[in-house]
Amino acid sequence: MSTVTNTAAAPYSLATLLNGMWKENPGLVIALGMCPTLAVTNSFVNALTMGLATLFVLVVSSAVVSLLRSFVPTQVHLVTHLVIIATLVTIVDIAIGAISPQVYRALGVFIQLIVVNCIILGHAQGYASKSTVYRSALNASGTGLGFTLALLCLGGVREVLGTGEFMGAPLFGERFEPWAVMALPPGGFFVLGGWLLAISWWKRRTGKKSAGVEQKQAA
Amino acid sequence: MSANPHILELRTSPHVHGPNSVQTIMSNVMFALLPIAAFAVFLFGISALALICTTTTVCVVTESLVCKLSKKESTLGDYSAAITGLLLALTLPPGMPLWMAAVGSVVSVCVGKALFGGLGQNAFNPVLVGLAFIHAAFPIEVSSWTLPLAEGRFTSFMGTTLTVPFLSPAAFDGITGATPLALQKFEHVTTGLGELFLGTTAGCTGETSDALILLCGAYLIARKFINWRIPASTLGSAFLTSLVFYAADPEKYPSPFFTLFAGGLILGAIFLASDMVTSPVTPLGMWVYGGLIGFLTVIIRLFSGQLEGVMYAILLGNAVSPIIDSLTQPRIFGARRAKAKL
Amino acid sequence: MNSDSLTFIFLNACIMNNFVLSMFLGICPFIGMQGNLKTAVRMGMTVTFVMVIASICATAVNLLLAYLHLEYLRLICFVCVIAGAVQLVEMLLKKKSPALHGALGIYLPLIATNSAILALALFQSLNQYSFIQGLAYALGAGAGFSLVLVIIAGLRERLALPGAPDVGRSAALSLIVAGILSLAFMGFAGVGY
Repeated sequence: MSTVTNTAAAPYSLATLLNGMWKENPGLVIALGMCPTLAVTNSFVNALTMGLATLFVLVVSSAVVSLLRSFVPTQVHLVTHLVIIATLVTIVDIAIGAISPQVYRALGVFIQLIVVNCIILGHAQGYASKSTVYRSALNASGTGLGFTLALLCLGGVREVLGTGEFMGAPLFGERFEPWAVMALPPGGFFVLGGWLLAISWWKRRTGKKSAGVEQKQAA
Repeated sequence: MSANPHILELRTSPHVHGPNSVQTIMSNVMFALLPIAAFAVFLFGISALALICTTTTVCVVTESLVCKLSKKESTLGDYSAAITGLLLALTLPPGMPLWMAAVGSVVSVCVGKALFGGLGQNAFNPVLVGLAFIHAAFPIEVSSWTLPLAEGRFTSFMGTTLTVPFLSPAAFDGITGATPLALQKFEHVTTGLGELFLGTTAGCTGETSDALILLCGAYLIARKFINWRIPASTLGSAFLTSLVFYAADPEKYPSPFFTLFAGGLILGAIFLASDMVTSPVTPLGMWVYGGLIGFLTVIIRLFSGQLEGVMYAILLGNAVSPIIDSLTQPRIFGARRAKAKL
Repeated sequence: MNSDSLTFIFLNACIMNNFVLSMFLGICPFIGMQGNLKTAVRMGMTVTFVMVIASICATAVNLLLAYLHLEYLRLICFVCVIAGAVQLVEMLLKKKSPALHGALGIYLPLIATNSAILALALFQSLNQYSFIQGLAYALGAGAGFSLVLVIIAGLRERLALPGAPDVGRSAALSLIVAGILSLAFMGFAGVGY
């Protein structure tokens, strides 16, 4: 029995990780959990902090939920999961406040809002409560890394266009005219919309190509 | 009709077509805009001319590129891209750096129109999408105005016009002047109505001369290219809203006539709000829509941090126009009014 | 306008700092929602209703935690109390008012974990609103949320017409539309200052 699960789990690992990172990339492709994504991604550092915080909560909550899965009755699943996630978020909140008060002020309430990130609760409910610790933590890391990547894509574009800087360092010289709108809320919508469009365009193109190759092979 | 007389040609409705094609309407709107553009060039010189040429060219080029990329038939023939460019230039300040105007034009055509599926399917007026983007992206440049009839306007460009792309303008002109709206809001100086009406004030390139805009608008309305209800309700509602505030405190709030003739209200009401695609189609809906735009314009002008509210008001009007349409749909003859269930 | 006045709190939450358009809160429902005005109105009403409940809960929790000096437990308490309260209200509605439950019920559990609700409670405690101010804030936020939801639903009904490109049915266009709306709402920036 154990050998069977082991062999099944071995090819699972990298594929699971990559699957979460790209194919089902939570921030961009599924477009879930965008609420905290957009509000604080006006700079790269904010996006990075937010992404890492989410990653931490996601991985640890998955592991804990998965550990407790045989002890928690189904009726109180939701509440237990919420308490676990909220506890972890409180820890992250206090930790960020202690490490960098400046970033903490910029992110404000939005760190605490990680609690209601659809991805985390969805992962706890849909995946972690049904699979082993190793597997759910691995899957969670993939999803979390993908989410961080998506946040960085947003934060990078918005910071470069909106301020002409990257991580605080000016990129284009002093007289560059920043596009103020990119750092404002509408810019967040536009940049995320733009990324989604670009990805769907790219996927359609590669899809067409591979379909064409298959047709040729069939002929 | 068909080559073979035995084949019966079947078509779905509509069977009766009006005489106005998209092309006739658009070319007439274009003709109506030309005098306004010409007057703008007279007031602000070659900078205005360069601005108008830039936005129009960029819009047309972007449109043809979009058509090529999406493998659609070229839609340049319906003049809509050119009109978008022309209107965008007329709603920008004359000294606008050309590259920023070009960015706005690309946003107008791509985000405002092409993403929605082209002319006829856009939810917002493309001109206003580009304009609002410019307002949010380059707030300083878009609120730096120049006085009209400056000396040497036909021989040299304004200092800001020829800015290197992606850089900020080196220096703003010495002859900048506040618009009537700014003078009223910040310094409580009211510009005379005659001056406002003729248009010899600072302001956006094409918004200054109310007399000319009204004249061109009257031509379009007389030939039924735009529906008279929308400008009428917009201007009427702005007048009434402003009258209420003026009656309450004439010291603090501007007179309703000032509200009507200052800024871009008339240009917006006639050329931007009345866009057929983005406004309601029912007569009652048009009144509601225009009324909302006029009301919001005055509210934004008087109470928000923005000087001019027309652009925002029309965008909001565009946003609610599908709802207005579905709420003001006339009852089908003989049908019972369904109880509104929510 | 005084920044503590009820009118300002209401307008601020509804228009100037709209939860959806300037703080990106609670976007998930409107991205996922199919264009339908009726659904949007119901959903908006439900959100407003839940927001009022959350506001009342938040005031109570804040008082209790301040009394016990356990402020660091605020987040955990908010999450549990709001989720619990919403579930209680749902059961109550089912029993007492099946009609209202029929209209709002299906969205209630979904909304209990919506970010806009928790954000309301958090912002309310951040700004230290009184009970009445909190109610005004909740009503304003709910009204603003409903407004945007209804506008987007109306637009989506138009965008879903045949002939619109595939993009028109995707989340990307919803986001672009929201971006344009957000630009339009910038016209109200600075009202009341």
